[in-house]
Amino acid sequence: MKRRTLIQTAGGTALGMLGAGLPLVGHTQDRYAKYKGQTVVMSIPAHPHYDAMLKILPEFTRQTGIKVETDRLAMARMKDKQLLEMAKPSGDYDLCCYVVMWKGEYVKKNLIREIEPFLKNQALADPDYDFKDLVRPYVENIGLVGGPRGYLPGPGARLFGLPYGAETSILAYRRDLFEKHGLKPPTTYAEFEKLLPVVREKTGIGALTSRGQAGHQCVHAWLLHLNPMGGGIFDDKWKPHFNDETGVKALNFLKLVSETGPIGIPGFGQGEMITSFLQGQSAMYLDSTLIFGQVNNPQVSKIAGQVSYVLHPKGTVYASQSGGLGLAIPKNAKNPDAAFLLLQWLTSKAQDKAVTKVGGVPSRVSTIGDRDMVLQYPEFITLRQQIEHIDLDWRPIIAEWDEINIQALGVAVSEALTGKKSPQDALNGMIPKVTEIMKRGGYLKG
Amino acid sequence: MRTPRWVPWVYAGPAVVVMAVACLYPLLSALQLGFYDWSMGTPWSEAKWVGLDAFLRAFQDPAVWRSLVTTLMFAAVCVVSEMVLGIALALALEGKVRGMAVFRTLFILPMMIAPIAVGLTWRYLFDAQFGLLNALIELFGAAPIGWLAQENTAFIAIIIADIWQWTPFVFIMMIAALANVDSAVLEAARVDGANWWQATFRVKLPMVMNVIAITLLMRLIDAFRVLEVIYILTFGGPGDSTEILSLHIYKTAFVSQRLGGAAAISVLLLVVVASLSWFALRLSNPLKDEGRS
Repeated sequence: MKRRTLIQTAGGTALGMLGAGLPLVGHTQDRYAKYKGQTVVMSIPAHPHYDAMLKILPEFTRQTGIKVETDRLAMARMKDKQLLEMAKPSGDYDLCCYVVMWKGEYVKKNLIREIEPFLKNQALADPDYDFKDLVRPYVENIGLVGGPRGYLPGPGARLFGLPYGAETSILAYRRDLFEKHGLKPPTTYAEFEKLLPVVREKTGIGALTSRGQAGHQCVHAWLLHLNPMGGGIFDDKWKPHFNDETGVKALNFLKLVSETGPIGIPGFGQGEMITSFLQGQSAMYLDSTLIFGQVNNPQVSKIAGQVSYVLHPKGTVYASQSGGLGLAIPKNAKNPDAAFLLLQWLTSKAQDKAVTKVGGVPSRVSTIGDRDMVLQYPEFITLRQQIEHIDLDWRPIIAEWDEINIQALGVAVSEALTGKKSPQDALNGMIPKVTEIMKRGGYLKG
Repeated sequence: MRTPRWVPWVYAGPAVVVMAVACLYPLLSALQLGFYDWSMGTPWSEAKWVGLDAFLRAFQDPAVWRSLVTTLMFAAVCVVSEMVLGIALALALEGKVRGMAVFRTLFILPMMIAPIAVGLTWRYLFDAQFGLLNALIELFGAAPIGWLAQENTAFIAIIIADIWQWTPFVFIMMIAALANVDSAVLEAARVDGANWWQATFRVKLPMVMNVIAITLLMRLIDAFRVLEVIYILTFGGPGDSTEILSLHIYKTAFVSQRLGGAAAISVLLLVVVASLSWFALRLSNPLKDEGRS
């Protein structure tokens, strides 16, 4: 299902009604008074956006009297801890940051609360919140569960979280090097393919940096190319078809990226991929918009002021990544109302600007379009266009995805990258395993 | 006065009970888990009885056997290298040499570092673009290597990290054992005309064979359980070339959310480790002589 269709079918669903259903009263009452002195415990990852959040958090306590404790963990360990906490009768967490892939599982296991009742609670909801100002594809991707395919907007979809650290993909390139060598950034994958060896040859550094480590990282890199080329993991009936012509073409493209990129891509995690670009070892970067806050930070970047951005190149379609982080309230939270107040405050217009200003990523249309913000981040002009091309079906957000992602595709893509198998053989080899996982999950009969 | 037969039970009983509970409870829980399909975050009451399904699936899964082979290779190379290096270092540093206390302290430092930090440190050292290793080989005009990007070099990388961290353990065990060797025996050997090699390999090392066996056993068990360093360094890749069994179990449990399957593979790992431990103890069982006396 393509994005345009999804947006149309989303009309009249939970999300459509939420904007209209917000309370009209409550301006003057102090919604925080009742919760003053309570402590909201928050599970957050070690992540640049949440590092930025920590800078604005003291202001919340100053304004409201509600204290906040954060439990900061490496992203990879956060889910285990959250599952253990949320499975207890009374958990330690009041507000949890989650990766978009986990939303279906958390809802299926009845671990997180619906957000709509909070938004409709006049005692809690801020009438100036302006829900519709949140970037709609971010909300749909991060927050909705129960719609078509279980994770898309449409009939049956309900809101379980709000975007906070959501992202899409964008192409960043070294303007100085491109100007020096008379190069143009690619607008299509055909141009992209031709450009990679040329950039490598002319600049002497890696053409495009990329993730490549076995598991989630290399699959992420492959999906970045697979979707614009018109491919996918499953057909409409959940039958895997990632080994078709498009899947192989996307994997061949990733191999080309690895061959013309900085040395060591098959071992690169997200950190190495970003560092390569920021330290001037690669001429291009095609990945998360998280890079915005880091490019001009002299503590981590040698390329400040030398980077420009263009849209994620088009294959047969435009299809940029949908992903990133959101915030949800656990079912067993001790202070759910205070947690909602914090969630609402963090995602409010003022605080969205505040966190963006100190290096976080924006979640609101008003932030991306704000004059001061655009002066600080001129790339928001491109981001506004890129958001239009977010593919909400960029990857299947089903409970089985982690296993498919890491233990099946994550091995196949990695084996193709190192040359152990050809892309066709590597992908063919994983069809039985993925089919078995989907049968076990009840998606396929047999 | 003869000690009543029940007295040793009174003294040893509480410790035996605590040990039995501490060791047996997790083991029995893992066994029980192997018979159920249960996912973290759901109540145990929702766990589904699947009988031997998880065990059969584990034994039929080629990834499990590939992982077992990788583990055996990893354990063999690491443990042999660590034993040889650790014993050699202990023999070299056992004498009274000025400043030796400082060296000994330096040698055991890697063992004290948290495995996560070890993994991160080696990840930076092996980094293809900014790592120290590539900087060094580039000094000699060689092309940089993507250490963690190729199967063979990634496997060498995890072995180097393990040897670096755990050779000090062998060293510290051996230096303690060598310090307790009766100097009169060595003196007698020298009087009888034994040279350094003969005194070392025919007298000294046989006298500490029990400690060598216990050290070998402990390293063997640890080599099968290592997780964090490989998790950080390679996450089992490229492909699944460095996916040792403990990492495979971790992924099955926490990525695939198949705790029953992970428990079944853990039982397989337990059988392998127990068999190897039995074999190692047959080489030299320190408790055997005590039992006889």
